[in-house]
Amino acid sequence: MRAAKSAYPLTWRIMDALEAFAAFVWPARFGRAIPWLMLAPALLLVGLLVLGLWQIGDASLRTLDTSTFLMSETYTLANYRRAFTESLFAVVAWRSLAGSLMVTAVTLILAFPYAYVMVRTSSPVIRKLLLIALFLPFFIGQVVRAYGWLIILGNQGMVNEALSLVGIAPIRLLYNYWAVLFGLVQYMLPFAVLMLAPALTAIPEELEAAAGSLGADWVRTFRHVVLPLARPGLVGAGLVVLTLSLTDFAMPAILGGGSQDFIANAIYDQFFRTSDQGLGSTLALLLVATGSLLVGLVFTLFGAGTLAMGRARQ
Amino acid sequence: MPAVLNGSSIKAKSEEAGVAVSVKAVNMVYDGVHAVRSASFDLEAGKFLTILGPSGSGKTTLLRLIAGFQRPTSGEIFINGAAVSAVPPHRRSIGMVFQKLALFPHMTAAENVAFPLKMRRNDARDIPARVERYLDMVRLGGYGARRVHELSGGQQQRVAIARALVFEPDLLLLDEPLAALDRKLREEMQLEFRRIQRELGVTTINVTHDQREALVVSDEIIVMDGGEIQQKARPAETYRSPSNAFVANFIGVTNFLDAQGGERRAIRAEKIRIVATRAGLAGTDTIVEGVVVDAIFEGERVVYEVRVASLGDALLRVFDHDPSAHSQLEAGSAVYLGWAASDVLEFKP
Repeated sequence: MRAAKSAYPLTWRIMDALEAFAAFVWPARFGRAIPWLMLAPALLLVGLLVLGLWQIGDASLRTLDTSTFLMSETYTLANYRRAFTESLFAVVAWRSLAGSLMVTAVTLILAFPYAYVMVRTSSPVIRKLLLIALFLPFFIGQVVRAYGWLIILGNQGMVNEALSLVGIAPIRLLYNYWAVLFGLVQYMLPFAVLMLAPALTAIPEELEAAAGSLGADWVRTFRHVVLPLARPGLVGAGLVVLTLSLTDFAMPAILGGGSQDFIANAIYDQFFRTSDQGLGSTLALLLVATGSLLVGLVFTLFGAGTLAMGRARQ
Repeated sequence: MPAVLNGSSIKAKSEEAGVAVSVKAVNMVYDGVHAVRSASFDLEAGKFLTILGPSGSGKTTLLRLIAGFQRPTSGEIFINGAAVSAVPPHRRSIGMVFQKLALFPHMTAAENVAFPLKMRRNDARDIPARVERYLDMVRLGGYGARRVHELSGGQQQRVAIARALVFEPDLLLLDEPLAALDRKLREEMQLEFRRIQRELGVTTINVTHDQREALVVSDEIIVMDGGEIQQKARPAETYRSPSNAFVANFIGVTNFLDAQGGERRAIRAEKIRIVATRAGLAGTDTIVEGVVVDAIFEGERVVYEVRVASLGDALLRVFDHDPSAHSQLEAGSAVYLGWAASDVLEFKP
């Protein structure tokens, strides 16, 4: 019996039984449903989101009655009028928009050489160190990191302590616009590097050698070969950084100390401080619109970059 | 600049110089590997040199040193009489065709060819005409507007050649650009390289592991192994009198016979006559008996593997160059092999 056993071992029999059971529970003709089934959770989530947006749209058309704290029964555009006319919102909108654009530009400029060295270095040790340095801050949440900056940059913080040693009076480093932008850049850098690295890996090193042999110094090689070929990565990284910093809440709240609100902070205030759901919803919708408009603008100007996925035409 | 397609301007320039490339005692060591060992050679202007060797022989490293992508650990390279070790690639006048071509995918064929002219700050008004002329030369007239990925493998090769030559470099380097092509296209491109090189008279260094390519295209062949130059000679000379056993083994099909007094003796497969009866071997000096182990029909020839008991059961490879003239010998049949003493190659240990 030994021979027969080895010819058809027990484990195979178990597999056969399992397969037969699986075929009974899920016949092959159900196979066509699998892709839809896998999409189902995502579709459900997006569906809920649309439902939520519908609710927010509805709320944005009702004003808050400050005597009863109830939403008005009739639709009105009063919230939109306030959002567009009150200077506070204009200031906040401009601050977030200009800030996120600046953060995007600075982050890309800083992330590019970092990603380039990480991809091109011939030393595995340097590559690992760069990767670790990149990922460590990822494990520390945004809020904790912002508090870290409070400790470092505060009036009694490390930087001011060091300055006092050389006789310089404490400088107010926190609670201003630049502190917020600084915090955002530091927060966004890993995202940008991680989006850029694959795009740079896709550029063959031989192309740079070829450009050199054809008479291009490194500046011109960078301008005419590396930069154009890295464009998909730059667009992808830029979009991620732009949308994340435009909608950021924690950095303006913590490093701005309430004086440097971004749109998300203004929305938070409407919902949770003044309980004006109507105005909060209006601001939220306007933020969604602005973000979409910006992304659409980038898409039309530069293409979808790495976010296009699929087979991008070269 | 007058038209250069007849190559007159380049030829005139190079013939004055005489020696175009001079490599003197060049060593290259990296990561503890001695990739190139005291390599020295001179290359006359206008000549087509092939550096032939197996992978890891140091041939590509030597080429990259000449191109300037790496600096030699010691020794010096002279191009047109000037030491170039301290000169970065973009300041050398060298056109290079890369193994994977390294065409710029975000540019059209014409933009690729125009690239070196733009980088070398040629007069922008002259560029289109010159690009057109070089695309014509590689038989790609009218293809300038195509993107790189819209071209076939052979067409991409031609763009790469045009791009490497359009700025009239002092030296053309070919880093195994034909290795990835199928055989028919490869042989076609070999002749194309030869034609263009003759037409322009540009000094060329080609790197390959393909002995056939080396024999077909070159004025001179350098055979490399283990980082060292084994032989530098004309193709026919390299084939007829290889300087050592490695060269003999690497180029052509060579049978090593027994060693006599430390000397190794060898005989080329095509120098051995194979017959079924002893009578057919009149005029040969050495005759041995053997048994056919295998007969491989290759179309234009049959390759026989014959075991010879008197040579220590050595397996000799023998060509029959006219297989259609008579019936093929079957495996297992007894045969006689004969060769002339003058055809035996002898190598000092």
